[in-house]
Amino acid sequence: MIFLRRQGPLLVTLITGLVFAAQYYVPHPASEQMLTSVTKWLQIIGGFALVLGVSSLFHVHAAKIRRKEAGWGYSFVLYVGMLGTIALGFWSNGKEAIDGTMTAFGWIYNYMMVPLQGTMFAILAFFIASAAYRSFRARSREAAVLLIAAVIVMMGRVPLGEYLIPISGDLSQWILNVLNASVRRAILIGVSLGTVALSIKIIFGMERSYLGGGKE
Amino acid sequence: MTFAERMLKIDRRIIFLVIGLCTLIPLLYPVGLPIKISPEVRGVYDHIESLPEGSVFLLSLDFDPASKPELMPQSISLLRHAFRKKLRVIALTLWVSGTGMADQVVTQVAREMGKESGKDYVFLGWSPGGTAVIINMGQDLYGAFPADYNGKPTKGLSVLQGVASLRDVNYAVSLGAGNPGVEAWYVFGKDKYKFELGGGCTGVMAPGLYPLLRSGQINGLIGGLRGAAEYEILIDQKGKAVAGMDAQSATHLAIIVLVVLCNLFYFASRNIARRQSQSGA
Amino acid sequence: MPIETIIGGWVATGLTLFIFSFLYKDNPLFKLAENLYVGVSVGYTIIKTYDTVVVQLIWKPIVENGEWTLLIPVAIGMLMLTRYVPKAAWISRYAFAFIVGVGSGLAIPRTISSFILKQIEDTVRPLLTLIPGEGVTFTWSLLNPASSVNTIIILIGVSSVLFYFFFSVEHRGPGKVVARTGIMFLMIAFGAAFGYTVMARMSLLIGRLTDLIEFTDPSYGRPSLWLAGLTILTLVVMARRSRSHPPEEK
Repeated sequence: MIFLRRQGPLLVTLITGLVFAAQYYVPHPASEQMLTSVTKWLQIIGGFALVLGVSSLFHVHAAKIRRKEAGWGYSFVLYVGMLGTIALGFWSNGKEAIDGTMTAFGWIYNYMMVPLQGTMFAILAFFIASAAYRSFRARSREAAVLLIAAVIVMMGRVPLGEYLIPISGDLSQWILNVLNASVRRAILIGVSLGTVALSIKIIFGMERSYLGGGKE
Repeated sequence: MTFAERMLKIDRRIIFLVIGLCTLIPLLYPVGLPIKISPEVRGVYDHIESLPEGSVFLLSLDFDPASKPELMPQSISLLRHAFRKKLRVIALTLWVSGTGMADQVVTQVAREMGKESGKDYVFLGWSPGGTAVIINMGQDLYGAFPADYNGKPTKGLSVLQGVASLRDVNYAVSLGAGNPGVEAWYVFGKDKYKFELGGGCTGVMAPGLYPLLRSGQINGLIGGLRGAAEYEILIDQKGKAVAGMDAQSATHLAIIVLVVLCNLFYFASRNIARRQSQSGA
Repeated sequence: MPIETIIGGWVATGLTLFIFSFLYKDNPLFKLAENLYVGVSVGYTIIKTYDTVVVQLIWKPIVENGEWTLLIPVAIGMLMLTRYVPKAAWISRYAFAFIVGVGSGLAIPRTISSFILKQIEDTVRPLLTLIPGEGVTFTWSLLNPASSVNTIIILIGVSSVLFYFFFSVEHRGPGKVVARTGIMFLMIAFGAAFGYTVMARMSLLIGRLTDLIEFTDPSYGRPSLWLAGLTILTLVVMARRSRSHPPEEK
């Protein structure tokens, strides 16, 4: 039983990891067929994972409503929003539009979800401006370099900047294409080496945090 | 408290108001400053221009409503360009919350250009799995998407004639707001299935994609609202991106002024503090 | 204009303003909109997953084409859901083990090929260009990213940043020069990233304000103007109320 609980899953990871890493180098029809089937499976499993991910919210907010904790009214709004959307979704066959005509589900999406999510992120514009004013100070040589690069790119990427200081356009292009590209490349290589190392650790059972909950 | 110190501790809502006005006023009273075309945006445009009629163009709208203002204008321009060039368009999204927007933009532009679903274009909708969807499309497009967004079986659609997998796609563009996006389409798509790839992305993502642009892994990059505005000019159909560029100019200038002021006040207050400590000693 | 579009305009405007009211201070209108957003998003995701996965990817292929092998991923998916049963939660490990194993296996060769080899290959390019008839040349153009001088700069940038990242020992002598060069390159890239982030954030605000301007149109009944007034009024009333009845300290 302990083997089933502990070593079993690690063995599954080891075998699937090695098989699919090797698959890349073996373009045999049988191996390609296996890749086709399993990636299709992953699409379906991905759906379950998504539901699992969002369903934890049900429990958290249901408990809040049951216990009438502070702000339970907002949890109730959340539930109403969710159940209302689900009900209208089923009623509209899961489609936002049918032959170009908006359904009730599409209405919720267009007039509630899109503006809500859009505005949630739009308010960050104000906070980035406030943060720039409060903390973007040339306290050291490095901070000064960062500040100058930021100002050049901000000038060079808008028509007014290019109009006021014509060279800012070319300068920001050079910064992005050469200086920025070299740093991003180094970061990309570094992160990729990290990803490969982590994947190898996972396959060989040295990294197990993904297995998570449940009694041993 | 000195003037400089007082200014450094100004109520942030005043800054909010300045930014709000700098955005609103140019939107109400646009100036229309000229916009220069960058080589990275031209890369995507030129490649679509070079494609012969009937070529297969795949557009992956990998974003959600949070990035709508940046990536929606890019989608509209690319679709207009592709339809104008009489390419066969395959559209999809890897982001669940972008499905409704993706369907809307594809349907609207197709209707505007007189294109027919199933014959000139297909919207495959969304499928979970992210990178697995890309690989599965590379292996078998019909397995990954047995039906289009409207539930019509993809097998037998005339727009997909001769297309079995991503290997048969002539040009793909991913408009990405994160992961999965342009990078995933390279790693899990182009790397093995060898189609030409271009990218479009939000401003936040753009600097990170320059290494791929430099190495030729993507042949062009449309970055943020500015990139979208450039594309609108290239296809000679100005839209929301060009309209927003004046506001973009004003807000950038406002932030630069704020940064300069903050540094002036900072150095002024530091000098005063230094002088006071010297006189105190 | 259809009535549902007009109502939609009013609802979208109201919710947008509720979120914007956070800029003044945290308040019940914002919290209401925030929770509604989470609820609607979760509901939307559930419906799309049901329609795409259950109907299109599972039910139809099995019933119409007899693709019974698809029951395997369904079974793996069900294993994941055992996470909710404390005693059987360990079974879900098999599902996660499968996903993570396949994911890691798929990622290793592709990441090496796409991001490590291709990026290194492009970094170590020839510094001189052979132009037929002119012989070997060194190009100085800064504006051409592929010029010889830029190739050298990119090489210096990539190596110095990687040096800075990987050699976390105390930097002395020549090592210090290389590490400091790396830091300077990093600062420039962070500056560029900040500039672009500002652009992105402002674009989002432009997008929302464009919609609000559209909703000032008389065909919608000018919801932006009416609801802006109403939101401000509500905030003022709430501020006054909280001033006259300050919340009790616990």
